Amino acid sequence: MTHSRSQAHNVFPVTATAVILVALAAAALPFSSSATTAAKGKMVLAWHAGLTSRWLDPQDHDGTATPDNFITALHDALIKNQGTELYDHPALAERFTMAPDARSATFTLRKGIKFHNGEPVTPQDVKFSYENYRGAKADVFKRKTESVQIVDDRTIRFHFKEPFLDFAILFGTSNVTGAAWVVPEKYYKQVGADGFKQKPIGAGPYKLVRHEPGVKIEMEAFDGYYRPVHVKEFVMVSVPEAATRVAMLERGEADLIYLVPGELINKVAKLPGVVLAPVLSGSWWLEFPGFQDPKNPFRDKRVREAVSLAVDRRAMNQAESGGLGKPTGNWINPDVQYAIEWPEFERNVERAKQLLREAGYPNGFDVDWLTPLPAYYSRGERIIAQLREVGIRARLQSMERGIFLQRLQSGIKDWPGVQIIMQGSRIAGSWSFWYEAYFKCGGFNSRDRICVKDLDAKFDQYERSINPTERKKIAEVVQRGILENYYLVPVFRHSFVNAIGPRIAAHKWQDVFPTITTGYAYPWEDIKLKEQ
Amino acid sequence: MRKFIVRRVLYSIVTLLILSTTIFVIVRLTGDPAVLMAEAGSRPEDLERMRHQWGLDRSWPVQYVSFLQNIVMGELGKSFNYRLSVSELYFQRLPNSLTLGLAATLISVLIGVPAGIVSAVKVNTWWDNIAKGVALLGLSIPGFWLGLMLILVFSVWLRWLPTSGAGDWRHVIMPALALGWYFAASLLRLTRSSMLEVLGSEYIKLARLKGLPEVVVIAMHAFKNALIPVFTLAGVNMVVMINAAVIVEVIFAWPGIGRLLYEGIFQRDFPLVQGVVVMAGFMIVGINLVVDILYAFIDPRIRLAR
Repeated sequence: MTHSRSQAHNVFPVTATAVILVALAAAALPFSSSATTAAKGKMVLAWHAGLTSRWLDPQDHDGTATPDNFITALHDALIKNQGTELYDHPALAERFTMAPDARSATFTLRKGIKFHNGEPVTPQDVKFSYENYRGAKADVFKRKTESVQIVDDRTIRFHFKEPFLDFAILFGTSNVTGAAWVVPEKYYKQVGADGFKQKPIGAGPYKLVRHEPGVKIEMEAFDGYYRPVHVKEFVMVSVPEAATRVAMLERGEADLIYLVPGELINKVAKLPGVVLAPVLSGSWWLEFPGFQDPKNPFRDKRVREAVSLAVDRRAMNQAESGGLGKPTGNWINPDVQYAIEWPEFERNVERAKQLLREAGYPNGFDVDWLTPLPAYYSRGERIIAQLREVGIRARLQSMERGIFLQRLQSGIKDWPGVQIIMQGSRIAGSWSFWYEAYFKCGGFNSRDRICVKDLDAKFDQYERSINPTERKKIAEVVQRGILENYYLVPVFRHSFVNAIGPRIAAHKWQDVFPTITTGYAYPWEDIKLKEQ
Repeated sequence: MRKFIVRRVLYSIVTLLILSTTIFVIVRLTGDPAVLMAEAGSRPEDLERMRHQWGLDRSWPVQYVSFLQNIVMGELGKSFNYRLSVSELYFQRLPNSLTLGLAATLISVLIGVPAGIVSAVKVNTWWDNIAKGVALLGLSIPGFWLGLMLILVFSVWLRWLPTSGAGDWRHVIMPALALGWYFAASLLRLTRSSMLEVLGSEYIKLARLKGLPEVVVIAMHAFKNALIPVFTLAGVNMVVMINAAVIVEVIFAWPGIGRLLYEGIFQRDFPLVQGVVVMAGFMIVGINLVVDILYAFIDPRIRLAR
């Protein structure tokens, strides 16, 4: 432990300096007063699901990649993921520093920042928000935090019981936790947690005007925001049917729509003035539950490799994402910390057949079930058709989503015989969140289905280390180990296809969707309408 | 009569008890809402926190007793997702559902009843064939397809009507038509068969023998009697349209009770699903109770037979 700490001393000054420089540089960006830019016009976002009130309260962040669409409009955090910054974009805090020993983090608030009710954002609000936070990973923060100290009227320091190297990445990733998001203490206590979800007051670029739970959220540009907000009125309306969203876009009733399904992509692409926004999103891969069993054909690495060689990733991308996704090498998204780049796996049916012959399966074999993540059944059917070409005969098992997730979490006993699971996910933040959830023995979704002891041992080493260089190296070794042994077979990264209407000023879709860690269009304040 | 009413009220209470128990059990058999909502990065601690927050860490019997107690107190619990009382949510959406249900009922009656009468009066003519064709289309065209076609034609091509949402009268037309179309077909068929039955009866023959004009025979004698089952069905249809217009409300983003139910089911929001189903049950059982009592008042044979 002493050794690790001395290593940390060597590395942290450099890291800390870099973090400060990045933070200062970002803080120095032209945060001109919003008063100089009059917000005008109206923008309507057609949201693809229900509008759940709990998503409006960062204190109850459920850990999913959904609340960030809302909290980034109504609220603001000390630091957050924005643009190409994964977690450390300075927002309410103009700068922050991690102590060299990772035992404390200090944030300095911007001058003159306010909540929508005109009250100033104070270190006391930050302290309350952190200590009252009860959403996803709250227990991690609570377990590791010793105290929260208000240093002065703009400075707040978090003290940790032990080195907390992942603090900033957990804290600042808005689609992982809501701990960095600041709510007004006085108002929150006054209306209570449930009342807050109906009428939230935040420090974000937009303030709430009207909220119809599940139906519509009407907002107005907050003129006290520290950055210019360009569009005056912003409405998010729930439209669950994709064809209706497209009709709204076509008729000019919506300016932004989320989730254009594959069959409508061509139609939307032809609409005059409309820009498709194919945001790369979740990764898809194949898993072989219980492959460690000696009777399981997937125990043989050659068989797993044959599966990989049989998969036609480009055809999958074309059919399922209109060619707008990406056939990937790594099963972990590259937009997270320490994810490694990996070349696209080749498709070679003859080589796959040869490997199967060498493994003792000249006529192939039967797979009891191939189960895709609901409701992406067509993806499973395509894999089945591709595997059949090399002699692997599988049947599709379609499950209801809740049942599927429950079975994932109950472990190998619910996946008897020879099975393949087609998984898909998007987790922001760090590669380690992916490993912990989908690979580690005892992980949230992997349970006892995979369990590769030597890689788990390396992961434990990663978790214990407080040396970033060492951590990065271990992360690479573990990811290589998974990919070289085909423990998981990556398929492709699908596209979350959105569309931008003609009223919005955008030369390219990235102008509206600049944040690489999300499929949503924030930062909202940067979106502009065309001059009429 | 009093005995009859007491018996019917008791039947209604038992029906509601069975309904509430069934829905309580069924929603829990569909899986754990915490599991469904948590994403891959979540951990068991996050799930436990969610379950505790929603009271799902209590045993089923404890949850059930609490659920029944709430119903007796007129409370339907608090939605997991909206963090509002279910009754508040229900009554927020009810005006929209009533508007849609009434408009769809009106459309279904205005199309179904006259067409059914014409079809019966002009039986086996091309009028009848047209009406039968309309009934066949009404029953076989899926509501979601019709809804999308209406949006395409009237919103996208002609630009006459807004695509979705609730607002002024223009927003109601397409969802009411999509919803009422199916029910118009069922009313048409029932009106036709009912009218044919009445038109063949002895008292109609007598009316004709008396030399009454055909219009009077149909309007004053046949029509009145034939419409009793038709309007009973229209009433039941309306309750269904108010509470369960799920597909049409989703297609048109109509903020009604059907969509609330759909979202509740989709997100495993137990209190919401339970509450909406119980409220729909109350409405249907209540209407049936009133109708039964009215029948018994009108026709003594009914209360004596039961």
